[in-house]
Amino acid sequence: MMSPRPSSPPPAAPETVSERVIIRTVGMQKIYHRGTETIYALRSVDVEIYTGEFITVMGPSGSGKSTFFNMIGALDSPSRGRVFIDEVDVAQLTAEELAFLRCRKIGYIFQSYNLIQYMTALENVTTPMAFGGVSGDEARKRGMALLDLVGLKDRWFHRPIEMSGGQQQRVAIARSLANEPGILLCDEPTANLDHQTGDEILAILQRLNKERGVTTICATHDHRMMNICDRLMWIRDGGIERIARRDEVEVEVGHIE
Amino acid sequence: MKPIDVQNQPVLPPRRVLQIALTGVKYRLFRSLVTVAVIVVAMAFLMNILTESLIKRAVAASVRDQIASLHRVDRWIARLSMARPYEEILARLAAEPPDPDDLRELARLGGCDDAAMIPLRRQAAEAHRILQFFATLDYGRRRVLVGPAEAVGIFDRLQDERAWAQFTAGLADMKTLRFPVSQEEFQAFLADWGVLRQQLDEIRQGQTAAIASIRSHLGQTPLVTALRNADGPFGDVLRAAGFMLSPEEASGLAVEVARLEHVLRIEGTINNPGVRQEVAALRDVLPGDVTMQMIWTLLRRQERAAWFLEIMRANHMDTGDLQAETLTGLARHQAHARLLAVAEQQTQDAGGGLLGIGMRMTWLALVSMLVCAVGIANAMLMSVTERFREIATLKCLGALDAFIMAMFLIEAALLGLAGGLGGAVAGFLLAGARMAVTFRTLLAQAFPWGDVAAAGAISIALGMVLAAVSAVYPSLRAARLAPMEAMRIE
Repeated sequence: MMSPRPSSPPPAAPETVSERVIIRTVGMQKIYHRGTETIYALRSVDVEIYTGEFITVMGPSGSGKSTFFNMIGALDSPSRGRVFIDEVDVAQLTAEELAFLRCRKIGYIFQSYNLIQYMTALENVTTPMAFGGVSGDEARKRGMALLDLVGLKDRWFHRPIEMSGGQQQRVAIARSLANEPGILLCDEPTANLDHQTGDEILAILQRLNKERGVTTICATHDHRMMNICDRLMWIRDGGIERIARRDEVEVEVGHIE
Repeated sequence: MKPIDVQNQPVLPPRRVLQIALTGVKYRLFRSLVTVAVIVVAMAFLMNILTESLIKRAVAASVRDQIASLHRVDRWIARLSMARPYEEILARLAAEPPDPDDLRELARLGGCDDAAMIPLRRQAAEAHRILQFFATLDYGRRRVLVGPAEAVGIFDRLQDERAWAQFTAGLADMKTLRFPVSQEEFQAFLADWGVLRQQLDEIRQGQTAAIASIRSHLGQTPLVTALRNADGPFGDVLRAAGFMLSPEEASGLAVEVARLEHVLRIEGTINNPGVRQEVAALRDVLPGDVTMQMIWTLLRRQERAAWFLEIMRANHMDTGDLQAETLTGLARHQAHARLLAVAEQQTQDAGGGLLGIGMRMTWLALVSMLVCAVGIANAMLMSVTERFREIATLKCLGALDAFIMAMFLIEAALLGLAGGLGGAVAGFLLAGARMAVTFRTLLAQAFPWGDVAAAGAISIALGMVLAAVSAVYPSLRAARLAPMEAMRIE
């Protein structure tokens, strides 16, 4: 399945990253019915996200940002329109295939870390591997390597409750990489952390993006994210307000300041 | 990077599911303990009533013969004193399984041959069934149906046209009653009642004649004294008169009568003021407070028995052939007999209803299990609600619905296993202690280890199944949870 290249150049196409599309939405809509009222969480969103890019999604709460995230993360299906992840139409997948997709293709990082409380750091990291069919020594070896990558090799036996927020988020990042996903979906990864710890997490995310070429999509209010991303996306009232490359934005920010 | 080809997510091996579920249960130990406690209580209740009923049944079976021998003398004295009532003869004729010796005795005394016995037994069985119906009926309704008549008198009364009309009308009003035979059958039976009654009368006349012949043989000798020779010449007299007396029964009877005479002689001492005074001085009580129970307890020790014999002699009482050893033996037998009497009373209700634990208890057990199931379902639902984010996260990480479901079911089953184990042990200890206090030494020889172990296994298995079944709905809810709940921030 090869993606049909768009005839006209996409808006604000990145310059430095490879131009293969990894997530594409076509007329994506999400409509909720509450009684007789119809709520448009998303109104016809068309967007393309390229392999290996670091994209930041910004928007006030209630803007449809979370809904957008759920759609492109294969956690929810659109009411109308389509979502292609790696050219696979998510709506066509069965529950088992969706689990397969979530397990191997996408890594999720949550605002409140969402580590499994009763598992050690290593067990948390190896759980997605077990779901993917890898277990035993192989999983442990890979898990330790990932913990080493986020600098927590020595704390593999600690439970989440014994770790600081930054450490928990680092374990969560290691877990999200368990099955070497192509996409990393981060929902406000630094919102619960202090300034310095947030910097550390951002540094790890940037490093992963640069060294491993993982497509990273970050929803955030954190302006530091602007310094490390390739593109920025603003969502407002269920639609994309604007997409811009970082260099374009930096000028504006400078201008405002 | 090559495009992924999407496949079905592999299913986690059961061992790994169990491992993950166990880790979770261990972590939430305290909360789980509360749920386990609910199961322990329900299963302990079940195990308790099961164990008690099994022990009662086992004790009843093991002491049945001993209890029968306890009443042997009474039974023979009653038999040899006067003709038996119609109802008793009917019951003996209708006995299932039939007692061939007893039937032969009745046939001989009644002067019927074997061919006549068959229809007689059939009719007796019907009469017995109907009499049982009236016997278990409350007074008010019986009064409405058959007026003041009782037992076989009912059959006599219903010969009358008006009484019959009253009976059928009354029965038609009492919709909840189930008469054991149809009205036509009953009518036919009543028509033949005269014949049956005549046959019963013949048996009773035979009994009266046999008793008279024995009386004339005895002369002035009391019946009890004569029965001491039941295994000797007097036994032959009884057999000659028409009674069936097997050699075992005869020797048992002789022993029991001898013992009874000794017991009567000893129990007579309590009326002697001298003996009373001595025992009172020994036990430091007032002479008026000396009881027979007190004396029997004393006599269990041989030196006290010897002392008691001396006191009897000192008070000019006939000690006959009594020895100290005989007295201690008698005292022990009395204690055992008292225990048997308790056992007989306690085991009367053993064996009725479903599972042999009685309808009421069965209901109580079912209700307790229902309450337990609701408790488990509630606890599991709370657990699911509490772990929304964990479940959703696991689904984000690639868990299948079946895995989530299995995780919760295994958790519930493990709680059920722990609860079942605890309940089985607690219920067993409780029932065992209670029964040990009631039956004492009788329990040791009759303890149904195998049955109780089976009851324990049933309780444990039931605890697991109950917990797993109660957890089905909560597990389904967990499995159906949308993975996007993981993104939600509380």
